[in-house]
Amino acid sequence: MATVASNPVPAHRQYLLLLHAAWRGQLQYRGNLVLTLIGGVLYQGVGLAFVWAVVAKFGHVGGWGMGELAFLYGVRLTAHAAWTIPFNRLNSMDWMVQRGEFDRYLIRPAGTLTQFLNWSTNIQPLGDLIGGVGVLVAASSAAPIDWSPTAVLYLLATIAGGALVECSLQLGLCGLSFRLQATYALRMNFIDNIMNNFGGYPLTIFPSVMRFALTFLLPLAFVAYLPANVLLHRTGELSVAPWLAWCAPLLGPLLFAAAYKFWYGQLKHYKSSGT
Amino acid sequence: MPTPKPIIQVEGLAKEFRRPKRIEGPFGGIRTLFTRQYVSKLAVDGIDFTVDEGELIGYLGPNGAGKSTTIKILTGILQPTQGSVEVAGVVPWKERERNARNIGVVFGQRTQLWWDLPLRDSLELIGKLYGVERDRHRANIERFTELLGLAAFIDTPVRQLSLGQRMRGDLAAAMLPEPRILYLDEPTIGLDVVAKERIRAFIATLNKDEGTTVILTTHDLDDVEKLCRRIVLIDGGKVLYDGSVEKLKARYAPRRRLVVQLAEGARWRGVAMPGVEEAPPEEDAEPGTVALLFDPETAASAEVIAAVLADHQVTDLSIVEPELEGVVHRIYAAREAVA
Repeated sequence: MATVASNPVPAHRQYLLLLHAAWRGQLQYRGNLVLTLIGGVLYQGVGLAFVWAVVAKFGHVGGWGMGELAFLYGVRLTAHAAWTIPFNRLNSMDWMVQRGEFDRYLIRPAGTLTQFLNWSTNIQPLGDLIGGVGVLVAASSAAPIDWSPTAVLYLLATIAGGALVECSLQLGLCGLSFRLQATYALRMNFIDNIMNNFGGYPLTIFPSVMRFALTFLLPLAFVAYLPANVLLHRTGELSVAPWLAWCAPLLGPLLFAAAYKFWYGQLKHYKSSGT
Repeated sequence: MPTPKPIIQVEGLAKEFRRPKRIEGPFGGIRTLFTRQYVSKLAVDGIDFTVDEGELIGYLGPNGAGKSTTIKILTGILQPTQGSVEVAGVVPWKERERNARNIGVVFGQRTQLWWDLPLRDSLELIGKLYGVERDRHRANIERFTELLGLAAFIDTPVRQLSLGQRMRGDLAAAMLPEPRILYLDEPTIGLDVVAKERIRAFIATLNKDEGTTVILTTHDLDDVEKLCRRIVLIDGGKVLYDGSVEKLKARYAPRRRLVVQLAEGARWRGVAMPGVEEAPPEEDAEPGTVALLFDPETAASAEVIAAVLADHQVTDLSIVEPELEGVVHRIYAAREAVA
């Protein structure tokens, strides 16, 4: 019998190969690249300008000054960008399922999720990242934070954890698309909207029912609000125990492990398309 | 010598698709979301067949017969509801990636190449993704470039290729990792005659020289007649026929056609032979031609011809074998009449 030509390739190498191909494909459209980046930065700038306008009118929001609000906003936005850069293809999940496009990932000896995420890419989240990091850097000196090495590490853990919390919710719901065919309205119009609209404010300004919902039902508080309280020495004002706020960055990895398992579990229900 | 184990074994394969029953009336959409009532459809309903290594089989059936569903189960895309499948010793949906290493798949309707990159980049990327040794991969690319005539467009982005070029690129991509089994789902759909011929020649070469096992799904029966010795014909999720092309014709269209061109002024007096009958005249038939139908099992061709020549002045004679197209058409039509 003839020798087999193909040999197993480590998953991380396949990931990088496909990521590279996705970016090379995207870089073919240079004009679009520049415009999308500018658009991304402007879009986030508008969001921050709105918060600034509110603060300029009322002096503070829920007892938080401009520097603190900008810091919270920057953490949330950076975390958001950090997951949407590698996971931006989740946007096309429904379409890919409905059109049977997953067929092509299932016939290759490489991870299905790896192939799906890197089939193509979108550079708009890079605009978010530039906006988020810009706000974060500016706010870091304006907000009353003592920047010890521990605080810097905690901030990095917060961003990673917050990114994973948002990512897990989206990935988990995407898993349902294999059965339900469409979850876009739930993912984007509902969850992503709540995250984007409420994520930049201290939760103390909301009624207690909503605060509870945004902490324990849709864990928005864990993305930026709880850890920001820790860094800003405001844990005394929280309605949850300070240790829970301290541990907030740990929720991300736990949720992500569950969402990843769930997504692959649901892949069994993929129905392909008629042809 | 013991007979080698078949490379593909399918037993009692069934696949049922279920979807929630759509509820009409007020709040129908929301009630549909929570309903426990389902509509189910058996796309594949108890299929058995085996394929030996090196075979080239045509997997045929009308639209909705269950062809694509079977292929998708064999390639590891779908999980069956029932039955067992083994492809080169692997259960496809249980060890998807291991199965993927043994197979190449080409979908006529859907490219697997990287849309925005030049064809060459896709081909090279596949080598790295499958872990094919560099020199071996380079030699394969060179060989396929020649066999499929890729040189003229290998540096063009895939989105700019014509359908025929893209199809050739897809075939090369599927075969570069040297899979033992190649699944082709309508590889010639929408292609012109020249492109079709080129692709058929490539498939025949792979099968002959490399011993690649090929499962070909198509509606183009020319593909089948030129490439396949064996056919598996399915409809309604069941196997209708599994065997050689010749036997299929013998069973469903046993009669040959003898077309006689009479000399000018000659009159047709008929042939009195058992098993020979006059065919109804065709619309575009030339004046003075007569067609006879006969079964070579009961009336030998030579005897029928002799009988015609004994009584008539004839300028031309030809025997027409039944075409697969007509045979398959007849089978589908018969099924519809029953159903």
